[in-house]
Amino acid sequence: MIWMTWRQFRTPALATGTLLLALLVALALTWSEVTELSTQTGYAGCQGDACRAAAESFLQALQPGWASEVHIAAIGALYLLPALVGIFWGAPLVARELESGTYRMVFSQSVSRGRWLLVKLAIGGAAAALGAGLLSLVLTEWAQPIDGASADRMNPLVFAARGIVPVGYATLAFVVGVATGLLLRRTLGAMAVTLLVVVSLQIAAPFVVRPWLAQPVTTVSPLTFDGDFGISMSPDTGRMTVHVEPDRRGDWVVSSTTITSTGAEFTGPADMTKCGRNASGGRETCQRWLGEQNLSLKVSYVPGSKFWGLQWREFGVLIAVTVVLSLFSLWWVRRRLV
Amino acid sequence: MTSALITDCLTKRYGRRSALKDCTLDIPAGHVVGLVGPNGAGKSTLLQLACGLLDPTAGRIEVLGAQPVSGSPRVGFVAQDTPVYAGLTVADHLRMGAHLNPSWDGALAERRIAQVGLDPAQKAGKLSGGQRAQLALTVAAAKRPNLLLLDEPVAALDPLARRNFLQGLMELAAEQGMSIVMSSHLVADLERVCDHLIVLVASRVRVAGDVDDLLATHHRLVGRRRDTTDLGAGRALVEQSHTEVQSTLVVRSTAPIVDPSWQVDRLDLEDIVLAYMSGATGDGAGRVLEGQR
Repeated sequence: MIWMTWRQFRTPALATGTLLLALLVALALTWSEVTELSTQTGYAGCQGDACRAAAESFLQALQPGWASEVHIAAIGALYLLPALVGIFWGAPLVARELESGTYRMVFSQSVSRGRWLLVKLAIGGAAAALGAGLLSLVLTEWAQPIDGASADRMNPLVFAARGIVPVGYATLAFVVGVATGLLLRRTLGAMAVTLLVVVSLQIAAPFVVRPWLAQPVTTVSPLTFDGDFGISMSPDTGRMTVHVEPDRRGDWVVSSTTITSTGAEFTGPADMTKCGRNASGGRETCQRWLGEQNLSLKVSYVPGSKFWGLQWREFGVLIAVTVVLSLFSLWWVRRRLV
Repeated sequence: MTSALITDCLTKRYGRRSALKDCTLDIPAGHVVGLVGPNGAGKSTLLQLACGLLDPTAGRIEVLGAQPVSGSPRVGFVAQDTPVYAGLTVADHLRMGAHLNPSWDGALAERRIAQVGLDPAQKAGKLSGGQRAQLALTVAAAKRPNLLLLDEPVAALDPLARRNFLQGLMELAAEQGMSIVMSSHLVADLERVCDHLIVLVASRVRVAGDVDDLLATHHRLVGRRRDTTDLGAGRALVEQSHTEVQSTLVVRSTAPIVDPSWQVDRLDLEDIVLAYMSGATGDGAGRVLEGQR
């Protein structure tokens, strides 16, 4: 069964493997560029307050080189990989056999249906995990100075392209493809549905799943309006909202709102004589007026120190869903198929 | 005589549609058995139930004394339209058989491939219908099953490919001693290879028996038009047709018919099968014959 699985799987596996290899080579070739730049700009081995400036110049120095392009490509590949694995590895796995009628040939060999699917799931799933894991491992190592300098590891976009989470997405996408093919019995339809499911999952994860898994911390601090802030207001109704960027370097800010002393979100109305186009005193007057409103900033955030804890949680959830879907597919192929 | 396949009130429904309904039959082992019937009689469904590809909705089915399961090493199956993996070569198919079947007979497979002139390096998707059928038969036969089921294997083949395929099947039956059940809606295909025949119409067994017996006991009677209620003991009416002056009957009789008022003719197998298929509606004679061997 292992031979048969490999014989049918090798073309898509080699195609995906080539793509991965190209990225790994690109990462290897730019490795020295990243480390050299971090040394040159003084970021590597920096101490205390000097680090912030050194980090800035390190990131600046990276911009024109190949490294930043490779970085974006590798992140993109880790997002693309689950969709590719689901569409080209998972969806046709059973659907094509059902469509072409060859399931009748393979099911009349001396191998039970359950074992047939189990071996296919195991080999395909392991290959998906290996591919995504390898790329993510290399990228996480490669990008360590960059992640340190930008303190951007918790950024939802970067988070899913680091550590072990990509492994979970790739294996889940593979099994989603297999299960859809099993249920729809049509390769093309299964591919389309798989793409839809995988992309929806990738979009829903940072907005719904991850905040729920991470259990963000909420803090409320008084606003003094002596730093940077943004105002948007409607000159007719006086409705006004205030945006303040919380200083949470390295953390993932899930939400940040300006609230009044009652705890409700601050929406104005603004004093039209002090703020807005017709006000006389300019920006300082408005700033002073806002300062008198007794406003606070309510920030909900996930500390950067929770990075690995969150990685493991998200990975665990993805793998659990993968296992459930696999068991369902095995049950279906034994009991419900044809 | 042991049985290769026994069914009892076997029913398979898809939603409200019945593909096979209350089918009861007993197929003896050690024969090349032809399963003949019109399209939609339930032949494919019966064979897929027998190899475990389908599960019955109701009733009982026993293959070689056990419940059929897919993946059994004792039952081989060549499905309708003889599906093969288009992207795999002929040699790959043999390698698949060797990997997936503990009882695989590699020498038999190689020999058969050479015999029918298949190029091992050729992709199965590029084979002709006849070659594909030969490949599927080879894979099924080299598994060395005790029972080989074939679902309309020659339906799509031209006459020459058909003859070669049936020739190969005969050789396998003779060499390997496996029981073979083969379905077709063409009697001519079965006549050449089968020594036992089952006529299935609307999932009921109309007649079953050894081909020689069937040929010996069926007669066509032509004579003056008359009432057909009284044919005498040991005779059963299979089919009748009347004109103004003449009656034509197909009768099953164990004893020879000596009656000067009838002109008695022998029938060939195709005539017998057609008589059972067209006589299936109405007259109740079929009910008497049901289950007889």
